[in-house]
Amino acid sequence: MTVPVTPVSPEQGDLGPPGRQALRLFIRNKAAVFGLILLVAIVFMTLFGSFFYDQDPSRIIARPLQGPGEGDAPAFGTDYLGRDVLAGVVNGGSTSLTVALVAVLLVAVIGVSIGAVSGYYGGWIDVALMRVTEMFQVLPALLFAMVIVALFEPSTRSVSVAIGLASWPQTARLTRAEFLRLKNLEFVKAARASGASDFRIIWGVIFPNALPPLIVSITLIMGAAILFESGLAFLGLGDPNSQSWGLMIGLSRQTFLNGWWTVTFPGMAIFATVLSFSLIGDGLQDAFNPKLRGR
Amino acid sequence: MEPVLSVRGLTVTFGSFTAVEDVSFDIHAGQTLAVVGESGSGKSVTALSIMRLVELGTRGKIERGEILFRAPDGEMIDLVQQPEGEMRAIRGNQISMIFQEPLTSLNPVYSVGDQVAEAVILHQGLDKEAANERVLEMFRLVRIPEAEKRMVQFPHEMSGGMRQRVMIAMALSCDPKVLIADEPTTALDVTIQAQILGLMRDLREQTGAAVLIITHDMGVVAEVADDVVVMNRANVVERGPVTQIFEAATEPYTRALLASVPRLGSMAGRDEPAPFDLVEYQP
Repeated sequence: MTVPVTPVSPEQGDLGPPGRQALRLFIRNKAAVFGLILLVAIVFMTLFGSFFYDQDPSRIIARPLQGPGEGDAPAFGTDYLGRDVLAGVVNGGSTSLTVALVAVLLVAVIGVSIGAVSGYYGGWIDVALMRVTEMFQVLPALLFAMVIVALFEPSTRSVSVAIGLASWPQTARLTRAEFLRLKNLEFVKAARASGASDFRIIWGVIFPNALPPLIVSITLIMGAAILFESGLAFLGLGDPNSQSWGLMIGLSRQTFLNGWWTVTFPGMAIFATVLSFSLIGDGLQDAFNPKLRGR
Repeated sequence: MEPVLSVRGLTVTFGSFTAVEDVSFDIHAGQTLAVVGESGSGKSVTALSIMRLVELGTRGKIERGEILFRAPDGEMIDLVQQPEGEMRAIRGNQISMIFQEPLTSLNPVYSVGDQVAEAVILHQGLDKEAANERVLEMFRLVRIPEAEKRMVQFPHEMSGGMRQRVMIAMALSCDPKVLIADEPTTALDVTIQAQILGLMRDLREQTGAAVLIITHDMGVVAEVADDVVVMNRANVVERGPVTQIFEAATEPYTRALLASVPRLGSMAGRDEPAPFDLVEYQP
């Protein structure tokens, strides 16, 4: 006789520590895994693309505005000066990704520090820091970033700093909310009763518990930062000496009616990168908080 | 005999509300003092005041009084006057505390072994390896079975009773002189309650620590206490050795508290439960 056994679905079983459980849920999310593969491919292209397609994106190689497959044009055609669009797409990612990465690091450091201190200490410290945060939040982000870039030389550094300074308030508010929720929990009291200092409680006890929503938020901000950088470059506020997808679109805006390929391919590169970050962010959100799935 | 901890005339306020008023008691090494009272009587605030945690994050303030603690060098220091830095060195090291909710008193993102080791590293300056040895020793002391395996587990993988054992191991890991237990068994079921109380009694004998236990449960008091302080509405109503309180309580409030414990057979000859007579307490 066989004994009927109720199968235990993985959701019901013990999945181990919270991190490992989230990883398993993430891997099972097809869209998120697709986003991750897409991102890895884009990063790989940016880092190693020039080994496979060794063309100087700033060199004039053929007649201007030749479409893909026309005459002696390269695969993605040539722009209004006769430069290789494919070479631009391959090399343009490094600026976008570098700027986004530096900007997001800045957002994380400023936003998390201010949010953590504000939420943990409360009182007048909280009031003061939140007023500063709101001041930054009500500034129109694009305008604010343009002013900063225009004040300094448009360079990779100034663009990163501008985007970072314009984007941190959201992270600060999220961190503060998490700290407000967590700081009154029993295990924080217990840590205090065991003699932990404020610094240790903020970074060693509360912060690791606040990480999941922050990771999600930071991932989504990464996508937004890439769009932001493209926007600034399109308006001519990018580093003029570097190659960037946004800059390619911006420079071609006079001529794109005569050559769709000059803006479409860099545009698709931006789209794919932002999409990959969005999918990863959504996947992480579901993985960390399975209750929200299906909403 | 000199007490380890002596609370004298402690008054704690939250804004205009007085949570603890002129409370005094002594605790001796190797003895258990139970502070009993209903919700809101000020017993938890008294405990938090001893740890000097009542002022953090709330508007609580120690208005008057002394909390004299005998430091390891034999000198009596007033905890009320100590700066925060000194208090941090005392908390968890010389005076430690266990809380009511074992389910939420442990940090969900670290293994239980790491959490106990952290306290040892912080106060005793041991390296990671020595700290882990100590954790293993403590886990065996509080009778956690398969201590090596349990050390690497996370809080959510343990039962409530096991988690409270971890909390006790953490509280005792630095050989404290005073252990404060705020309703340590309230969240546990009766059989586990009896185990934890028995464990606390044994550990008090082994370590010679003074224990301050806070509870509303007269059964717990009868189980572990040597002396009892009864509190109601911020004041001490009655104090004395446990036998005296149970056999010859003088205050009506104490007698009512004792009478509130359900007894087997107390419903005999009655159709339905009747409300208790209200006791008006006049300070």
